[in-house]
Amino acid sequence: MKRVAAIKTHRLPEAAFTALAAGEGDPAVIRLLREAQRSKHTMLLAAIAEAAGDADPADPEAVAFRAGYELLARTQAAEPGAYAWVMGLPHLGGWLHDGLIRLDQSTPPDFAYLACAAASGAVRAGASFEIDLPVRDGRVLLPGLGSVEVAEQSAWVRLRCDGERLTAGDHADVVIRDARPDYGSGPPVPHWCGTPAVRVLAGGLAWDVLLVTDDAYLDRYTLPMSAGLSAGELRRWRQRVQDAWEVLVRLHHWAAGPIADGVSVIVPLTPQSETDLISATSPAAFGAVATSWPPDPVTMAETLVHEFQHVKLCGLLDMVPLAESGTELVYAPWRQDPRPAASLLQGIYAHLGIARFWWAQRQAETDPDDILRAHVQFARWRSALGPAVDTLLRSGCLTPEGIRFIGLLREQGRALGDEPVPGQAGQIAREAALDHELTWQMRHVATGATAVANLADAYRRGRPFPGQDRPEAGVQEDVRKLSSSVRSRLLNMSYLEPARYRELCAAGALPLSGPDRLLLGRDPEAAVRGYRDLIADSADPQPDAWIGLGLALHQLPASPLRSAFATALPVMFDVHTCLGAGCDPVDLASWFG
Amino acid sequence: MTSQEKKIVTAVPDLRDFPLDRLVELGTSPLAHSIALYRERLKENGIPLSSFNARI
Repeated sequence: MKRVAAIKTHRLPEAAFTALAAGEGDPAVIRLLREAQRSKHTMLLAAIAEAAGDADPADPEAVAFRAGYELLARTQAAEPGAYAWVMGLPHLGGWLHDGLIRLDQSTPPDFAYLACAAASGAVRAGASFEIDLPVRDGRVLLPGLGSVEVAEQSAWVRLRCDGERLTAGDHADVVIRDARPDYGSGPPVPHWCGTPAVRVLAGGLAWDVLLVTDDAYLDRYTLPMSAGLSAGELRRWRQRVQDAWEVLVRLHHWAAGPIADGVSVIVPLTPQSETDLISATSPAAFGAVATSWPPDPVTMAETLVHEFQHVKLCGLLDMVPLAESGTELVYAPWRQDPRPAASLLQGIYAHLGIARFWWAQRQAETDPDDILRAHVQFARWRSALGPAVDTLLRSGCLTPEGIRFIGLLREQGRALGDEPVPGQAGQIAREAALDHELTWQMRHVATGATAVANLADAYRRGRPFPGQDRPEAGVQEDVRKLSSSVRSRLLNMSYLEPARYRELCAAGALPLSGPDRLLLGRDPEAAVRGYRDLIADSADPQPDAWIGLGLALHQLPASPLRSAFATALPVMFDVHTCLGAGCDPVDLASWFG
Repeated sequence: MTSQEKKIVTAVPDLRDFPLDRLVELGTSPLAHSIALYRERLKENGIPLSSFNARI
C-alpha cells in the first residue's frame, strides 16, 4: 500500500481572529494570512500539476511546466526565502486561480507561466539554471521582477543564468543584480525592463510596492489594467504613493504597518471617467490592490485602507468560512446594484475601515472643506454599518464563526457611534445616505402588478389602506430605469468637492428641475410643493421627482409621511402610476402612512 | 488555556515547508479533499470581487 504523507492544516490563533474581526491585525497577523496563502498556492499548484501530468508530454507548454516545477523545487531546497517570495506573489495566485477555473471548464491552463515564475524565483535566489520560456510581445516575463527584451522572433527562448549574468537567446545579456524592479533610481539597463516599483518611507516605516501593468494574471478587475505608465505618469504615481504613505503613517498607524506587510502590488486601472475613482480587490490575488488614479493623497490613503480590509478578509475567508452562499439579494449602502447577502460581509468590513479612517482624518484636517468632507464621510459610513449588519444577520447566511466575527465587528462599529459630528455634516450625511437608499429602492424593489392594482382600486374607492395585507415587495435588478441624477451627483459633490459645488451653484447653469434647485437650496416646503405639482401634473411617471419629494420631506420636521417614503416608496410610485395624472402624491403617501 | 490562546482549525493545509517534489505523494489524501472544497466554494460563490466606486 502506498504511503501517504501526513499534513496538518493551518491554525489561526483566536487572538488573530479577534483582531481581524475588529478590523485590525498587526504585521504578525498579516504574516499568518500570507503564509496560509502560500499554502493555498501550493495546494492549487498540486491540482495544476496533476493536469499537466495528463497533458501530451511533448506539448511545449507541458514541457515548460515540468521544467518550471523542477526549477521551483530546486529553489525551494536551496533558497527557501526566494521560494517563499515567488510562491507568495499575487501574480502567481491569479494564475493558479485562473488555471483551476480553466481546468474546471475543460480548457488547459497557461502551463508555461509557471516556468516564468520559477525563473523569477531562481533569479531572485541567484541560482544557476537554464529554462525555455515563452516570448510574448518581444519579451520574457519574470513575474515580480520585470521582463527581458529578446531579439528573436521565435515563440520560445532559452533563459540562462550562471548566478551572475542572465542571458535570453543570443543577444540579451543582463547582470543579475540589475534584474530587479525599477525604483526609478538607476540608469536604464539594456535589454531589461524592471517592473515599476516604489519604496516609500515615512516616520521610520518603509513600504515597498510594485506598480504592475504588464501581467495578464493581475488584469482581473472591473476596469482594465492601465496599458503601461509613461515616465511622467510613473513619476506621479510614485509621488502619490509616497504622499499617501505619509498620511497613513502620520494618522492611521494601525493600518500603515499591516499594509506594508500585506500589500506588495498596486495595479493602476484605466479610469472610466475623469471623476470616478474605482478601486478593487480580488481574492485570487492576495496582496494586490487595484485602483484608478486617486485625485489626492488622502483619497489614495483611504483607498488603501479600504482595499486592504478586503485583502485581509479574503485571506481569512480562505482559512475560515464565515458565510454560505445564497440567492437572497439585499441592499448595500455602498453599491448601486443589489448584492448577494453574503457579499455584504465584505462591504461591512471595508466600511468599518473607512469609517475609522475618516474618524482620524477629521481630527487632522485644517481646511474647512476638508473638515466637512471628513466629517460627512465618517458620519455616513459609520451609520451604514449597523443596518447592514442587521441585514446580514437576518439573511441567515453566516456560519457560527461568521456570526461571532460580525458580533465582534459590530462592537467596533458601535464604539465609533459615540463620536459627535457637527450638525451640518450629519445632515448632509443623512441626506446622501437617504438619496442612495431611495434611489436603490426605486431601481430594484418590485411589487406584484395585482397587488398594485388592488391598492390603486382601494385608494380610488376611498377605502382605508389595507394595513394587514401590505403587499410583499421583492428585490429585482433594474425593475425601473432611472437616468443618472444630477441632483444625486450634486449632493455628493457638496461634501466631496465643496469648492466645485459652490462654483457650479454660483454659475447657476445646473441642469436641475425647479424643485431640485429648491431642495439643494434648503427650501424644503417650496421643494415639496414643486415636486408635488410636477408629479401630479405630469402624464409620465416621475421616479426622480418621487425621490426628491422623499428627500424634501426629510428636511422638514418628522411626520408619518417620512416613514411612508422610507418603507414604501416603490409601491407608492407604482400605485400612483396606476392611478395616473392628477393624483396628489402627498395625499397618496398619507394614505400609505 | 485562555480563550485568546485557543487556535482555530482552518481549511488550508499547511504546505509552507512541504517539499514540492513530494507533493504528488499527497494525491488522494486530505490535500485532494481541500482542493475539492476550494473548487466547490468557487462554484458556489463565483469569483467574488470587491469593486468600489468612491463617488456613489
